[in-house]
Amino acid sequence: MTMLSSSGGPGLGKRTYSLLRSIPTWVLWLLVVLWTIPSLGLFINSFRTRNAQRASGWWYVLVEDFSENLTLDNYVDILASGSQGGLWRALLNSLAIALPATVIPIAFAAFAAYAFAWIDFKGREWLFIATVSLLAIPAQMSLIPLLQLYSGGGHITLPFLEKTLTLFPDLDLAGRHVSVWLTHTGFALPFAIFLLHNYISGLPKDIFESAVIDGADHFKIFWRLVVPLSVPVLAAFAIFQFLWTYNDYLIAVTMLGGAGQNFPATARIAALSGEFGQAEHLLTAGAFLSTLLPIIVFFALQRFFVTGILAGSVKG
Amino acid sequence: MRGRKGDRSRNGHFRDADELDGRRRARRMIGVLAVLNFAINILMGSGVAAAAAVLIYRGGSTSTVRRAAAVSSGIVLGALTLWGVFTVEKLETTARGVVISILASALIFILANKLFDLPPSRWSLFTTLIGAGFALLVFALLWGNRAIDDPVLRTMVATLVGAVAGYLLGTVQHRWGRLVIGVGAGGLLGALATSGMRSVILVFELEQGAFELWPILPRLNYGVLAGATVGGAVIGLLLWQFRGRRNPPVRALLLGATLGFLVGGWLLPDLGTGTKANALVAGIGAGIGLGALLALKPIPDGSKRGRIEGSSRAYIFLIPALGFIATTLIIPTLRTLFLSFRDTRGQEYVGFLNYGDIFSSPNIFNLDGWTGIFGSKLFIVGALLLLIGVVVSIVVGRRSGYTIRFSPGTGGVSAIGVVLVAFAVFAALRGTIFNNLWWVFTVTVLSSSAGLAIAVLADRARWESLAKSLIFMPMAISFVGAGVIWRFMYLARDVSKPQTGVLNTVWVGIGNLSLSRGIGFFVAIILCLGLAILLGVLAVRAWRTGERTIGVGAAVSALPLIWFAYALWHGVGGFEVRENGDIVASTIQFVQKAPYNNMWLMLVLIWIQTGFTMVIFSAAIKAVPGDLLEAARVDGASESQTFWRVIIPQIYPTIGVVTTTLIVLVMKVFDIVKVMTNGNFGTQVIANEMWQRAFTELNFGLGSALAVVLFIAVLPILFMNIRRIQKAAV
Repeated sequence: MTMLSSSGGPGLGKRTYSLLRSIPTWVLWLLVVLWTIPSLGLFINSFRTRNAQRASGWWYVLVEDFSENLTLDNYVDILASGSQGGLWRALLNSLAIALPATVIPIAFAAFAAYAFAWIDFKGREWLFIATVSLLAIPAQMSLIPLLQLYSGGGHITLPFLEKTLTLFPDLDLAGRHVSVWLTHTGFALPFAIFLLHNYISGLPKDIFESAVIDGADHFKIFWRLVVPLSVPVLAAFAIFQFLWTYNDYLIAVTMLGGAGQNFPATARIAALSGEFGQAEHLLTAGAFLSTLLPIIVFFALQRFFVTGILAGSVKG
Repeated sequence: MRGRKGDRSRNGHFRDADELDGRRRARRMIGVLAVLNFAINILMGSGVAAAAAVLIYRGGSTSTVRRAAAVSSGIVLGALTLWGVFTVEKLETTARGVVISILASALIFILANKLFDLPPSRWSLFTTLIGAGFALLVFALLWGNRAIDDPVLRTMVATLVGAVAGYLLGTVQHRWGRLVIGVGAGGLLGALATSGMRSVILVFELEQGAFELWPILPRLNYGVLAGATVGGAVIGLLLWQFRGRRNPPVRALLLGATLGFLVGGWLLPDLGTGTKANALVAGIGAGIGLGALLALKPIPDGSKRGRIEGSSRAYIFLIPALGFIATTLIIPTLRTLFLSFRDTRGQEYVGFLNYGDIFSSPNIFNLDGWTGIFGSKLFIVGALLLLIGVVVSIVVGRRSGYTIRFSPGTGGVSAIGVVLVAFAVFAALRGTIFNNLWWVFTVTVLSSSAGLAIAVLADRARWESLAKSLIFMPMAISFVGAGVIWRFMYLARDVSKPQTGVLNTVWVGIGNLSLSRGIGFFVAIILCLGLAILLGVLAVRAWRTGERTIGVGAAVSALPLIWFAYALWHGVGGFEVRENGDIVASTIQFVQKAPYNNMWLMLVLIWIQTGFTMVIFSAAIKAVPGDLLEAARVDGASESQTFWRVIIPQIYPTIGVVTTTLIVLVMKVFDIVKVMTNGNFGTQVIANEMWQRAFTELNFGLGSALAVVLFIAVLPILFMNIRRIQKAAV
């Protein structure tokens, strides 16, 4: 092993070596092309007419007659048509789910993360570990009881007395967006607390001490110091959570159940894809539209997104 | 699930005069809500306008132009918001929900904080508010449960009494004075609560979906009551003795007696058959006891008040999050555990029946195919590769003094062997659980190695960030969207028509090439063989110069090329020969053909997750200290040695994090399977099985049991996470 020098190795020859050196770049770009083809194919096909899509693969777009085979009809159709309202409505539903499901956990998690990081109280450490360890609990573990809670309220049967008390009234939340918000909020909190705590506990101690000397209480410190200083990590979590909730399918389809008019885009696309045969040509446009916003958010704010992912895992 | 609603509307009203009253009140409420709604919408519009104006205005110098721009853009944005809120129905409800929830939570949060700012400086105000709040809360609860007559009047009086008592207890220092105040206020509140107590409170019974009235007046037996009180007092004294006689005994005595009285007055007697006089005694007695207890505590000094402020603050900050976590994670998890031992609708205890069903169902857990493992080509090739890798490693290791020594070449070959053997095993063992394990193994291994490979390849390459962005992009696409995208990739059309799916086009194309025996055919064969020869030469040279492991790697990678050339010559790709000698095109049913359709589904998740692993590995590699790499180079290590001996050990923790994250994620895989096959064609996974059992068949018992299986599968990861966090916290 030690015989190979860093300049290339005497036995291999310079040409072979330089050829070997350029292989990685070729492999990288080959992989990039392979990785892009699926999305690119969908994107191109979404502009082709139903007949064109059925007659030839998307790569024929290069050789076929543009005016005959390219169209925006797929988009117009999918946005407007459908028994539950067009995809337009589903996209709005997606936003209506994702925005609150992003904002609510941020606020709660920031409070909790600050308390765990900078307020001294009994049992702080084990409470923090217990909270964050819930990260790995599968959502499936909560789905049945939560749906029961939203559609029938929470009840407890008292032992011995054989009486049932209502702890949480039946607000008929199942099928409404509120149920999806609440569920997302609960599931997001352990991760959010973990992520924000990592950052907030790393803020310099001096600023807190001088603030206390100046007579600021925790409430003031939180608003005047912690929130402004944590903007990067708050943004990172917000983007992460927004993409997660916007793209979620499991929780939406479980909690919204039969209320098809409240379905987000993912659930609508999934339903469309079930009837693959008839609406195949529309599915391309639908799938592209449903991923459009996340992709824009993603490319525009990639820096924050990456920060969030890294803070959540590498530092851990 | 939705069946319940029908039940409710049938029985969900009760024939109480209150109900009609409630309806009338509700109608009035709707009017109020509409006004409130309008106000909130206006507020939102003007809020956006003001925010925009302020942001632009404060951005820099204040010229007239800037001022005009600020005002006009504020107006435009505000108008836009108003227009959106009033015209687009969806936007309105959402925005309103967000605004209301934010305002309400903020208000509660701020008020709680302001309240607990008080103790150090304004103790009496604090106690006044606490007293009023406590009384209000108790009476609101009684009111809400329809337990008292004249609820409005009683609640108002009680709040007033609470406030006055709180103020007096916060200011009066004299011991007997305090006692009088405490006893008086407590007795008064008890009397207020119980004198108007109805014989019933409302209870909602789950099973029938009907309201039931539950009597609560206790039937007192004064002997029992006295006995319980004295007993409580004795226990209190004993505990005081036992704990070292720290405070004066009065408090312990009183606490014991009060608790005893509560037990004797409310828990032991038969509820519902008592009289109002009974309730009055039980209420006033309890009130006096609690009031006296509070009064016996002296007014705390400055440092104690500070502590009250500090510790309460932690809970104010924590309770919103912890409450949410408790209601959406902890309690449901416990309930799912409970439901998994019960029948379909959770009514009867059935023991381990659901778990038995899982492991006895051939669709979920099926070991029958295990004999098929050893005959499969995949297994033979995999075992062979593993053997080669291990043998060469041992030989190489002997020479350098180790028992066995893996290096890039041999390690890679052995790893591929292991993966192939695992595929052979999973392809033979069928059923939901093995499918899940197959998913976890494949996606975790391939996605992390692909991510690591790309991170290394892209490191310091030209256009690095562009390449990484494109690989990373699928992370922004939903699993559902990805499923749709790949359905088009895997599309298989009737063979009489041109293929439109990329993969089948390639497959049929290879078939045509192989059949054509034209120029393309020969070029392809020569290209393959040429590359194979090049690799062979490289292998021989590397072996001679002592780079034995690179040699083995090159030789092994030449094998598929030779195989492909041979296969092309022999005939490979999308065609089949009919019995009558006709040759027709044939496609691969990527999604339908078991068992390898599982792998094509896994590819979708690998496509998504590789971006994630790449980003993390890339950051970890860049974080490896430059000195270390420099030192390795100075010592004459080659690129690959630096990578395997320096970088890999440095990013070891990251590899652990990535694999655990992936395992948890893949274990729960749902959307892709649901969209692409819905579990048909032998591709079922636990999460989808659980969803189907629970939400389409409404079998909550079996669904819960499957969820628990999933939970148990991720438990080890959960414990690993806990240990990791513990280490980080120390």
